[in-house]
Amino acid sequence: MSHAMTVLVLQLAVLTLLATLMGHIFQKRLHLPRVLGELSAGMLAGPFLLGRLVLPGLHQPLFPFADAGVLPVSVELYGIAVVASIILLFLAGLETDLPTFMRFAGVGGTVGIVGVTVSFLFGAGSAVLFLPSVQTIMDPRALFLGTLSTATSVGITARILSERKKMSSPEGVTILAAAVLDDVIGIVLLAVVVALARVQNGGVDWSRVGLVAAKAFGFWIAATVIGILVAPLLVRGLKRMQSLEVIAGVAFALALLLAGLAETVGLAMIIGAYVMGLSLSPTDVADQIRERLHGLYAFLVPVFFAVMGLMVDFAALRGALVFGLIFSVVAIAGKVIGCGLPALALGFNLRGALRIGAGMLPRGEVTLIVAGIGLSSGVIGPDLFGVAVMTLLVSSIVAPPVLIASFNGGSGYRRAEKSAAGPAARQVQLTLPSLNAADFLRGRIVEAFRSEGFYVSRVDMNSRIYRIRQDDVHITLDQRGTVISLNTDGKNEQLVRLILLEELVELRDLIAGLQKMDESGPGGGGRLGDDLVGGLFD
Amino acid sequence: MNLKKVLSPAVMFAELAGDDKESVIRDMVTRLARARGVESQLPEMIRVVLEREEKDSTGLEHGIAVPHGKTDAVASLVAGIGRVSEGVDFASRDGKPTRILVMTVSPAATSGPHLQFLSEVVRLLKDEAQRQALLDAPTAEAMYNAMVR
Repeated sequence: MSHAMTVLVLQLAVLTLLATLMGHIFQKRLHLPRVLGELSAGMLAGPFLLGRLVLPGLHQPLFPFADAGVLPVSVELYGIAVVASIILLFLAGLETDLPTFMRFAGVGGTVGIVGVTVSFLFGAGSAVLFLPSVQTIMDPRALFLGTLSTATSVGITARILSERKKMSSPEGVTILAAAVLDDVIGIVLLAVVVALARVQNGGVDWSRVGLVAAKAFGFWIAATVIGILVAPLLVRGLKRMQSLEVIAGVAFALALLLAGLAETVGLAMIIGAYVMGLSLSPTDVADQIRERLHGLYAFLVPVFFAVMGLMVDFAALRGALVFGLIFSVVAIAGKVIGCGLPALALGFNLRGALRIGAGMLPRGEVTLIVAGIGLSSGVIGPDLFGVAVMTLLVSSIVAPPVLIASFNGGSGYRRAEKSAAGPAARQVQLTLPSLNAADFLRGRIVEAFRSEGFYVSRVDMNSRIYRIRQDDVHITLDQRGTVISLNTDGKNEQLVRLILLEELVELRDLIAGLQKMDESGPGGGGRLGDDLVGGLFD
Repeated sequence: MNLKKVLSPAVMFAELAGDDKESVIRDMVTRLARARGVESQLPEMIRVVLEREEKDSTGLEHGIAVPHGKTDAVASLVAGIGRVSEGVDFASRDGKPTRILVMTVSPAATSGPHLQFLSEVVRLLKDEAQRQALLDAPTAEAMYNAMVR
């Protein structure tokens, strides 16, 4: 027992160190997604490369081959990866913007559904065409390959769209809405496929397939509807304890609970975690929960990607290398055609359709989780797991340059460009005389909203963008240099203006007070800080 | 925000007394303190509202002013709406005399929705018909109904 724990802790130490460093190098030096560095860290340290070496003090390899099981990592380490995948999908659910999704559900939904269908058929079809042992599209291996072709990792795309200020363009909102739907359909598909793989023995019993699909969809719908209805009441009750730590702790516990519940009814754990996140996403404490779990996320999620890297068996992949390349190309084609064609039909021109297709290319965590579940349940072997990782690598490397290049040139929309912002969106702007004054006033505004009972969170540490929420009120504060902008709907414009007005009055009063301090020295002619300077030489 | 949670006919004042800004504010704070049973805190309440007014006038536009202050002398938000039919000079932004006063006195230490109350009232009064309905209401009860209907 203690030896197993020693090995686990040492494994975590090595994976955390390597994944952190390689993630950083990939992102900052190679300008590639961080996740690719973390995956590579796992491949490097894993039982198929350096991990097989016997360590002197340990008298055994750090990452030995697992004895009889199909997983080349220990149960303990895989358990930590499972918890990390629950955190990942819980936070993905929390980040989903339900109103935006609903607003662009039309075009985005069509692009998403057609994209998922085409990708699934391309993925599953290529298994039937190119893998001799797969005869039918209902073979669990074909189903798994189809499912892992559907998921889109919108993180990479979202970052590029945000950097190029295209998040609110018709292409941008279509990609985001389609990607949300992709996740939902992909996760329901996963539920069906996992359940199918478990019940299937040879022939396909279509009544059972229908039952499994109905159960998966039923669980998804019921859990989501109940979750969205109950979450606000739950949050309101928890707020009485006046501790955001308690709210975040209870929310995380519920995500674990729902994940376990999903597993016990025969579905994948990540479905439960995602549903819990989605249910809490419209509440005003969603950002606060995310902020408090971010530390856990930052440490465990790189370990998750590294563990997935550990499982890449290079020897097995060598045999499937050709299929891997074919599958990667098919997966890319599936998304570009599956998402580009409906976009073309719905008002975009060829340029816009290409942008949308390219934006939907990156694969990420869901692909790996699906592949990991396939591997751990024995449905796919290490060769096809390697193919999944290869597809992720290829699509994530190909997507960013294609997407960036595709956004050169004019509009991708044939119809008159509509603004993504709602009809009643309002912006209140204030230009300050200096950056220091703007920084100071921003801090005061944030505190003013907090003292009004709002929840304020910084979007990320590198920007000066804040999300301000209370019940159904959403306000964003964005400071660019000396300009402070607050965006909200028309209903809350008065509040924003009054808060700004109040803080300007306070700022002026503060300056007047400091000037008085200036004049209050001996004889009324002293300079600010005379006493402090004098003290330096006492 | 739901104005019914903060307002009641008891804190609607159809005619405030006074012929300048300070005397009107003093009259309104006094009536508010009486209505909410916090008369013992009256001097401190008047002090914070006048102190805020000293920094910059709270006169807005269209005859509306929002005098307010923060002090821990009150345990919860004390708020009300008053009228001055003749109008009083609040150094408003559009130069018009103030006829509607929306006032809050709120605790300094605890967070609470005092600006949300003010902004909600201002949002409603942005509408000219709504302003007129408040000005035309014959009684405190009618003023209350005009604001929360």
